[in-house]
Amino acid sequence: MAGALVRALTDRFPELAATLWTDEDTVELQIDGSRNVELLRRLRDDPELHFWYLADAAAVDYGTTEHFEVVYHLYSDLHPAWLRVRARVDRAEPHLPSITGLWEGAMFHEREMYDMMGIVFDGNRDLRRIYMSPDYRSFPQRRDFLLPDDAADSSAAGVNPLERPETWDLSRFRDAVTESDEAAAKGKP
Amino acid sequence: MAVTTPEGKDKTEGSLVPAVTAEGAPIIIPDQAAGDDLLREFGMEEHPKGGFHGLLEVIPTRADWLLDLIRANSLWPLLSGLSCCAIEMMSTATSVNDIDRFGMFPFRASPRQADVLIVAGTLTTKMAGPLVRLWEQMPEPKWCVAMGTCTTSGGRFKRSYSVVQGVDRVMPVDVYVPGCPPRPEGLIYGMMKLHELVKQRRGQWTTYVDRGPQRVAWEGDVR
Amino acid sequence: MTAVDPETRIPDPIELDRAEEARLHAALGIEPPRPAEPEYAGFETVGIPDRPPVTEREAEVYTLEEGEMLVNMGPQHPSTHGVMRLVVKVRSEVVVDLDPVLGYLHRGIEKLCENATYTTVLTYVDPMDYMSAMHNEHAPAIAFEKLYGIRAPKRAEYIRALVVELNRVFSHGLMMGFLALDMGGLTPILYGFINRDETVELLAAISGQRMLFNFFRVGGVNWDVSDEFISRLSTWRANVGRSVSDNEALITENEIFTARTKGMGVLSGDRAIALGVSGPNLRASGVPFDVRKAHPYSIYDELEFEVITHSSGDVYARYLQRVAEIKQSLHLIDQIVDQMPHGPVQAQVPGIIRPKPGRAYGAVESPRGLYSVYAISDGGPNPYRFRMRDPSFITLQVMPVLMPGHLIADTMAIMASLDPIMGGVDK
Repeated sequence: MAGALVRALTDRFPELAATLWTDEDTVELQIDGSRNVELLRRLRDDPELHFWYLADAAAVDYGTTEHFEVVYHLYSDLHPAWLRVRARVDRAEPHLPSITGLWEGAMFHEREMYDMMGIVFDGNRDLRRIYMSPDYRSFPQRRDFLLPDDAADSSAAGVNPLERPETWDLSRFRDAVTESDEAAAKGKP
Repeated sequence: MAVTTPEGKDKTEGSLVPAVTAEGAPIIIPDQAAGDDLLREFGMEEHPKGGFHGLLEVIPTRADWLLDLIRANSLWPLLSGLSCCAIEMMSTATSVNDIDRFGMFPFRASPRQADVLIVAGTLTTKMAGPLVRLWEQMPEPKWCVAMGTCTTSGGRFKRSYSVVQGVDRVMPVDVYVPGCPPRPEGLIYGMMKLHELVKQRRGQWTTYVDRGPQRVAWEGDVR
Repeated sequence: MTAVDPETRIPDPIELDRAEEARLHAALGIEPPRPAEPEYAGFETVGIPDRPPVTEREAEVYTLEEGEMLVNMGPQHPSTHGVMRLVVKVRSEVVVDLDPVLGYLHRGIEKLCENATYTTVLTYVDPMDYMSAMHNEHAPAIAFEKLYGIRAPKRAEYIRALVVELNRVFSHGLMMGFLALDMGGLTPILYGFINRDETVELLAAISGQRMLFNFFRVGGVNWDVSDEFISRLSTWRANVGRSVSDNEALITENEIFTARTKGMGVLSGDRAIALGVSGPNLRASGVPFDVRKAHPYSIYDELEFEVITHSSGDVYARYLQRVAEIKQSLHLIDQIVDQMPHGPVQAQVPGIIRPKPGRAYGAVESPRGLYSVYAISDGGPNPYRFRMRDPSFITLQVMPVLMPGHLIADTMAIMASLDPIMGGVDK
C-alpha cells in the first residue's frame, strides 16, 4: 500500500533507506535532529511527495540514559500512508532547529515540547512555557519526573497530607469530633 | 485619622474606621467588638449548634427567616465553569432541566454580583490563584458548591502534578455534589441542599463580625 | 517592558488595599493576621508580567506604544469556552495584538496515562475534549488496536461510527448556540441544549453516561445496541432535523448575525494549512481535508458522503460549514443504521493487554479537527508514551493572526467560530 512512497523516499534519501520502516499505513524515517528542517522542507516542497500538512509533532523520552526523540507526522494527498519522521535529540544538550519557518502552526507544538520535555528549539520566536506557570522549574513529561503516587509506592510515608491523620485540622467540625478522631489526629493509635 | 460628627465628638465607637488619637494611643479595631455587642444585644450571635436562641429575638428572627428565604430562592451563581462539569451546569441552566425556576437564572459574569460560586470543573494549580481571587471578590453572604469529583477531591486526577486535590484546599465549601459529571438532577439536588443550608444558616459563611480566615492555609503546593 | 512610568503608574487595587491595611496595622501596632510572604502562588500568572519579556514575541505583544493598552480577558469570562486567558493589546477598542495564555486546565493526562493500563487510558482521555468524548476514545482505540494487532468486529465498528456521528451532531449543534451566545443572542443556546439533551439521552442509553462516556474498549465497544434503542433512535431522528432547523431559522438569515459574521475573521486556505488548522475550520477556508476521506478508518470507506467545503473562510462560512456537517452526519447515521450487521461487539481481548513493543498512530476526524494519538508500547501493561494531538490547541494559534484589526466584541465571535474546547487545549 505504501510501496510507491517507499520507492520515492529511497530514491531521494538513500542514506535513510537503512532505517526506513513501514507498516500497512505508516512509513517511518529516522534522522538526526539537526537535519529536521531540511528534510521536512524537501518533503513538503517536492511535487511527488507533497507532504503539505503537519499533523503532529511529539516528543518522546527514552529514559535517563537514552536520548529524546521528536516525532513528526505528515500527511500527503498523493500517498495513502502517514509519514513519521523521528528526529533524535541528545539528552544532555536538547537543542533542535525549529520548524516554525515551514509551518507556523508548529509554534504551539514546540512550546509544548519545551514545557513538558525541556527540548529547546533554536529559531523559535516564542519559546516559553505554555501549560505550566512561567516560574515552574521541572519538565513534567520526562521519565525522571515522578508523580507523587510513584513516590508513595516506596516505603516512605505518603506525600499527600490527607493521608496522614496527624495533619488534619478538626476544629471545623466542632460537634462531630469524637475522642477517637482526636486521638488519631494527635497521632496516637 | 479622627472622624468627627457634626456634634463635634469623636465618633469612634461603632464606626468601622479605626481612630488613632493625637497621643498615638491605638484604639482596638471596633468592628469586631461592636459587632459582638450588637449581636449579643439582639440575641443573634452564632449558636454552636446553629439556629436561634434567646427571648428578645422574635421579630428579628422572623425578619431573618424571611431574608434567608429570599436569599435562598434567588441565589445568583457566578459563571465559573472550568471544565466538563460546566457543560452539565449549562445543561442544568437551560431548557430541559431549568434552574431558572429556582431563581438561579442570571449567571453573573462579575463576582461582585454573585452569591454562589459553583466550581464546575477541575481546579488546577495555575487556576487556583484566579479562583481564590474570585472567591474573595464575592461579597458576603456567599456560598460555594463543589460540583463534580474533581472539585470534591481531585477526582480522576488524583495523582496529577497540577490538579488541586479538592477545592476545599483553597476555599470553604458548603455543598459537595459528586459525579463525573453529576447529572443535572444531581446538581439540582445539590442546590436544594444549599437552600436548606441558607435557610438554616448552616453554611461555611460566617457573619461579618466573625470573619475568620477565608480559606484554609495554603502555602502554594496544594497537591 | 512596558513604557509605563513607575512614578505615575496606577497601582492595582489589591496593592492599594494591602498597602492601606499594612499602614493601618502599623499605626495600630497590630501583627498582620496572615503572613506577608509568600504571596499566592498563582497570582503572577494573573497579572501582566512585571519582568522583562524573555522572547521576541512576548516583547512584541507586551511593549506598548502611545495610546495602547493591555486588557486581560481573564481565565474567567462569560464566553463559554472554558478557562483561557487572552492578553489583548488594544488601541481604543480595536485589537492590535493578542497573546493567548493557556494551561489553566492542564491536568497532566499524558503523564497519568503512562501509569494506567490500556483500558484505563480510554477513560482518562474522555475529559480532554469533553464535548466530543467519543472521538477522544476512538483515536486511542485505533492506535491500541494497531499496536495489539487486532481489528474490531464489524458490528463494533458500525456502533463506533454511530456514536461518533451522534457526538458530532450535538457538538456542532452546540457550537451554533455558543456562537450566538457569545454575540449576545441568548435563545439559540437553549435550542442547542435541547438538541444536546435529547442526543445525550440516547448516548446515555447506549453507554450509561451523559457526557464522559466510557464506551470504547480495545477491540470494540462495551455494550451492544438493542432493537429498542434503534426505535428510539428513529424517533430521535425524526425530531432532530426539526430542532436543528428551528435553531437555524433563528440565526442563519438573521440580519444582526450576518452583519456581525460575514467578512469577519477571514482565514485563507494557505494560511490555515500553515497554521495547522484542521476540521470544519479548514474546510470552511476551502481546503477539502477530511480525515474520514483522507485516511479512512473504521467503516467510513463503506459509507457514502462527500467532503463539504466553503470558500469564504469567514465566521459565517465556519458556521455554515458546521450546519452542513450536521446534516451530513444525519445522513451518515441513516446509512449506518441501514447497514449495521449482526455479530459480536468486542473482540476477544484480555483485561490487561500487553502489546508487543512498537509505535502506532491513530487519527480521527473530531468535530474540531484532526484528533490523533501517537502511542508507544514497550511490551508492558502500560503505554510507554501516550501523546494526544488536540485540534483546538493548534487552532488557537489562529487567533493572533485573525483578531488584530477587529473590535474587542468581534474577538468573541471569531473565537466562538473556531470552537475551541479548553479541556482539549490544555489536556
